[in-house]
Amino acid sequence: MAHYIIDAFAMIGMSYIMGFLFYGFYRQFNARVQRRWGPSVFQNFFDNMKFLFKTETIIHGPMFFFGPMIIFAGAVTTVLFVPYLKDSNWLQGFSHSGNLILIIYLLVVGPLGNALAVGSSGNPFGVMGVTRGLTRLMGLEVPFLLGLALVMVQHETASVHAIMAAQTDFAHWNLMTNPIAFIVMILPFMASQHASPFDVVGAPVEVYAGPRVEFSGRLLGVLMTQNMMMTVAKLVLIADLFLGGATTIWALIAKTFALFLLTAAVSTSFPRLRTEQTVDFFWKIPLGLGVIGVIATVWFPWS
Amino acid sequence: MNLITKLLFLGLSFTPAATFFTWDGAVAWSLLNGITLSFDLTPLSAFFMLLLAIGAPLIAVPMLREKSDESAYALYALLLLGMQLLLLAGDFIGFFIGWEMMTWSSYLLLLRSPRTDLEGAQSYILFNLVSAFLLLAGMLFLYSITDDFRIQAVDGLLTADKLVLFVLFGLAFLIKVGALPLHLWVPRSYDQAPDLFSAFLSALMSKMGIYGLMILPLLFPDGFNEISGQIFNGPVAGYVLAWIGIITATIATFKAISQEDMKRLLAYSSIAQVGYIVTALGVGSSLAIGGALFQALVHTLVKLLLFITIAGIILQTGHRRFIDLGQLISRMPISFFGVLIGIIGLAGMPPLPGFAAKYLMYVGLIEAHWLLLLAAMILASTASFVYCYKLIYGPFLGHANSPEAKTATEAPWQYLIPQIILMGMLVALGIFPGWAIDVLIDPVLIGLNMTPIGTPAWNVLATSYGGYDGVAVMGVFATVFVLITVLFLLVRGNMHRAASPYDLSFCGEVPTADTPLHYGAGMGRELRRVPLIGWILRHTTTGFYAGLTRQTQAAAGMIGTLYGSNPQTWLLLAVLIFAVTLTIQSVTGA
Amino acid sequence: MYHNEHCEGFQCEQQQLEAALAQSGNELGALDRLMAWFRQRSLFVLAYGTGCGAIEMRPLMTSRFDAERFGIIGAATPRQADVLVISGYLAIKTLKRVIRSYEQMQAPKYVIGLGSCTINGGMYWDSYNTIKQLDHYIPVDMYVNGCMPRPEALIEGFVALQQRIAAGTPSGFERYRANIDWYKANQRRVLGDNMPPDYTYDWYHAGGVA
Repeated sequence: MAHYIIDAFAMIGMSYIMGFLFYGFYRQFNARVQRRWGPSVFQNFFDNMKFLFKTETIIHGPMFFFGPMIIFAGAVTTVLFVPYLKDSNWLQGFSHSGNLILIIYLLVVGPLGNALAVGSSGNPFGVMGVTRGLTRLMGLEVPFLLGLALVMVQHETASVHAIMAAQTDFAHWNLMTNPIAFIVMILPFMASQHASPFDVVGAPVEVYAGPRVEFSGRLLGVLMTQNMMMTVAKLVLIADLFLGGATTIWALIAKTFALFLLTAAVSTSFPRLRTEQTVDFFWKIPLGLGVIGVIATVWFPWS
Repeated sequence: MNLITKLLFLGLSFTPAATFFTWDGAVAWSLLNGITLSFDLTPLSAFFMLLLAIGAPLIAVPMLREKSDESAYALYALLLLGMQLLLLAGDFIGFFIGWEMMTWSSYLLLLRSPRTDLEGAQSYILFNLVSAFLLLAGMLFLYSITDDFRIQAVDGLLTADKLVLFVLFGLAFLIKVGALPLHLWVPRSYDQAPDLFSAFLSALMSKMGIYGLMILPLLFPDGFNEISGQIFNGPVAGYVLAWIGIITATIATFKAISQEDMKRLLAYSSIAQVGYIVTALGVGSSLAIGGALFQALVHTLVKLLLFITIAGIILQTGHRRFIDLGQLISRMPISFFGVLIGIIGLAGMPPLPGFAAKYLMYVGLIEAHWLLLLAAMILASTASFVYCYKLIYGPFLGHANSPEAKTATEAPWQYLIPQIILMGMLVALGIFPGWAIDVLIDPVLIGLNMTPIGTPAWNVLATSYGGYDGVAVMGVFATVFVLITVLFLLVRGNMHRAASPYDLSFCGEVPTADTPLHYGAGMGRELRRVPLIGWILRHTTTGFYAGLTRQTQAAAGMIGTLYGSNPQTWLLLAVLIFAVTLTIQSVTGA
Repeated sequence: MYHNEHCEGFQCEQQQLEAALAQSGNELGALDRLMAWFRQRSLFVLAYGTGCGAIEMRPLMTSRFDAERFGIIGAATPRQADVLVISGYLAIKTLKRVIRSYEQMQAPKYVIGLGSCTINGGMYWDSYNTIKQLDHYIPVDMYVNGCMPRPEALIEGFVALQQRIAAGTPSGFERYRANIDWYKANQRRVLGDNMPPDYTYDWYHAGGVA
């Protein structure tokens, strides 16, 4: 029991620290691409703490308060069901009680809970943002899960542990053995991290209407915290599935950072898409590739 | 007198439960010419009898609130009798009698609603009669080949005969489950029926179509393999059935999103959910059949819960459109939780059992390597989040949009009791998915001669592709939720509730009661900008049938031009052909 | 790049002011100092582009002057913002929206008045429909004068504000809460019956704690 508790707190703490450092790096990276100095790497930590220390927070009824709590619980549950390390007793959380499909569904539990809070705030701009988010989800989930399903078919299991264990060395990484699955799911994966060019849902600075329009003070701090943790959980999941997992913490940081760098590079390079353009894009390019992948790897006998 | 009638009716609603618990041994009753009617409770029919046993009393309780209506009670009695007959029947004669009783009594019940119009009633009876006639044709065809009416494995049939049987029975049952494009009667009747009867239609009667479809593997013991061979790791017939199911699910989901009426939205969502079951039946592996049964169970519970809750809202406010409701969360909190639990089950979110059903079906599809079907199913189930959100946002969140919504009170206790029971059942099933597998689903699978799914413990759902632990998921989520809430409240800092619902950041403007702040009806309208969804929503099934008629007429017209307008021309043609035939025959010496 | 080594004119006065302020925060507890430090390091700005001063906000945020290196970044809605920048003259019609937005921000919150118009009306000193002195209506924490002040001056103002926050000096929102009746009376004098609704502030009367 004590093992579980220490392990859980280690995973949560690690996700949080990696989360704000990664986002801080992203802001630095973005600034340098735009020939600016940019803020400190710890800027996201400062922002988050500032919000958590706000002295005033307005709420619109009990459901509005519980929404951020639900999304936070969803994020922590996701973190605890993703195995962080391979062949280790530590940083496993409750991942033996779950599987890949469960994790994918856990990723959306929180945002849907928060959608209730947004609705109960009574601000129509917030609900517009939620609808945009659900629409984007509809677009990205199909190719995302199809890419992961190709991996599940390849290994004939939905267990993240088993998929990780099967990737023994670099040549057996799913990135190498099943590159088409990686290509199919990588863009939807970026969208699921709210990365540009698919970030019209939140659009933190410039679009008034978004799910967060009514959240303020400490509730906003909770939302920021869970977002950083969720990002790390998703990165670790993809590293587990495609980059062979990690046996040490340093390898884990290196692999997730490589994935994050890819996301950041795409984010800084492309202009933002509208919601329906996003959906249409996902249903044409990644899903089309996915169909080709299914035909090539599942239907035909040479595979 | 009134009270006695009501009590009698309540007792009557327990008859399926009584049948379920007290039935032992088969009953055979010889009819003329050596044909015997046989009745028995097989594991498969016991599963569906259980659904009926759960659903009937839960719908009867809120019905007791209304003025006692003897003729409606009598029709309900007939309906329950018909459905039990149908489930117990061991041969097609009993099955058909039950089917007809169910059809007619439900039709008469539908007619008793003041909202039913001619179109709704006609489409209901026409589609259901076609279904019944197809069933009749199928059973007579079966009798003409095998001299037997019993529902049992048929072997030694020609492939063509099997195909004919499969198509006749399949179409009959697909009409009942409302597969596209045979679903026209579903949204109309679910919408127009009395509010509580809609729950019965959606939760229980649609399951009879599923029961029928599950008889098909009984008739063809080798699954669907032998009907027309195999393709992509599975039977062709199953593949077609699965695509029918998933296209139904996808299109019905998008239609549901665009509805502005709560009951119509639920009707389309029923079509979509039953579409998943059809897909899983098409896969036909034991995992997928298990998933189909689980989904049937969850869908029954969820639709009972949602329709009863919505009936309560309609009773209290008199409104059924999203645009007329809003902000009932503070006035009808229990109903809010009812709809909340309902949509979590409907959307298939962990930790409620909707996820267990989805999980089994997904794994079934992955195991069969039918990934394109999987992608389509993911599309449908992700899109269902939008209508689920609309269903809870429209009535409960946002701003109240009508005087009735501003003053409504919680639904009467007769409505709340079934809701609370159903919520408890759903949560318990979500924590213990292995229990449902072990106790409810595995016996059916064994009865169908399939490998049971099996479970190591009641809180675990285990498959060959890995599983999950319901207690762990629920436990971790609840623990973190409680911890973070407590922590949040302990940290210093003020939190105060907005003094007015109009204290919104509204670009510096001050919204008032006249500002249109409720987004209920418009939600999902912008989805039309996505090309595929826009295309689907611009086309209707009525339009499809009209187009079919047009094309048929055009084709007939084209064939008509082959014949000249002058009768003498084709008289001459006939004589010539006759002469040529005669000549050829005489030349070849036949 | 702008270097903060020399001062001239108002900047010197400002520096003297800040030097005095920097010493006044020593009585804060450790946690309060930490909180104040986080607060000053992260300022979300609601830029209210009321007048021509709005034109100076864009270069402030973009590559040339890069306010993000001080932790200053734009916010979409008043709920998320810490700093309200009033950039230029305020027409009476706009004042109502400004008050509404300010009251919807969550404490601790600060106001920066940008340009001479917010101080004394500037070139609109005799206009019939602009207000002349912003801090009669909402509490201003920092003025940046000039017509127009350049982005460097604005950054100067932000940095001065950050020092005040770090020192824990009582800020405008506390003044507003304590003197709400005076502010409301002033607002009523120019707005007449066209006041923003009172539900955003009337809980201040209950001791400012709710």
